[in-house]
Amino acid sequence: MARRPISTRRRLPAAKSHRHEAGRCLHILRELSAFIDDELSHDICGEIRQHLGACPRCEEFVVSLRQTVALCRKSPAPALSSIERAKMREQILTAAHMR
Amino acid sequence: MAASRQPHSSASRTAPPQKAADTFDTLYRNHVDVMYRYANRLCGETEAAKDLVQETFLNAYRGFKNFRGDAQFSTWLYTIASRICLRMRRRRKGAPERELSLDEFIPTSDGEFRLQIPIEGLSPEAALHNKQLRKALDAAVGKLPKKYKMALVLRDMEGLSAKEAGAVMGLNERAVKSRLHRARLFVRRELSARGLAEDTASHRHEPIT
Repeated sequence: MARRPISTRRRLPAAKSHRHEAGRCLHILRELSAFIDDELSHDICGEIRQHLGACPRCEEFVVSLRQTVALCRKSPAPALSSIERAKMREQILTAAHMR
Repeated sequence: MAASRQPHSSASRTAPPQKAADTFDTLYRNHVDVMYRYANRLCGETEAAKDLVQETFLNAYRGFKNFRGDAQFSTWLYTIASRICLRMRRRRKGAPERELSLDEFIPTSDGEFRLQIPIEGLSPEAALHNKQLRKALDAAVGKLPKKYKMALVLRDMEGLSAKEAGAVMGLNERAVKSRLHRARLFVRRELSARGLAEDTASHRHEPIT
């Protein structure tokens, strides 16, 4: 089922003041990982911060991207048991001496 | 890796048994857990991850004399594991890898800008206690084409710098950053409330047009 994009008509004041900035939003979205990772120059960071302060939807985009990265950083991974670790070591050494 | 160029001399001449075994044991002890974690993140399941770890250390054992001290052991092992992973997966599936275009992640509606990650004000650690979210994250990473997945796993999960990830993947930093950005945008979209709802409902995603 196709969803219609949210109408901008209901948000006229914000949409109107923001329309000329649309290209700016897209430009900033391309830089957001570098922004999050603190890889941009001081000046560019300042510009982006300024834009985010004035553009709630870009601000929300950054929040969700930051959360995505934070979840990745904290995501757990399974660990080997000591038995598995020892068994794997044996298998590797056996294979190494066979070939 | 030039492991295959080993001369056909007796094993005792090419590798003094006790010394090689000791070196291997140290290498294995210090790095097997990290490699297993990495392998799990790349493969998404434990049996394939174990195969990958075994192959990695087997290659390291054989290629040990090719190790140059200018890299860290861990970087060297990540490199070996990544190459094997690319080969393994290529053998398993013939399908060509999809490129992720930046354009497909550019929001075209207010709703797409405002996709929310369903963590409801929790810290990432607390949010990850939710099994559904953990599964959604694993599934999102699992769906990434492997070259993007590798960039994301190395940078955002294993904590390597862009330079180190580049050394592992044989790329310059710029290319790593570009892949990382696309991978993050992909995972963000998958993880968002819309992504979770769609996944449960139909296992497919509407393309953003």
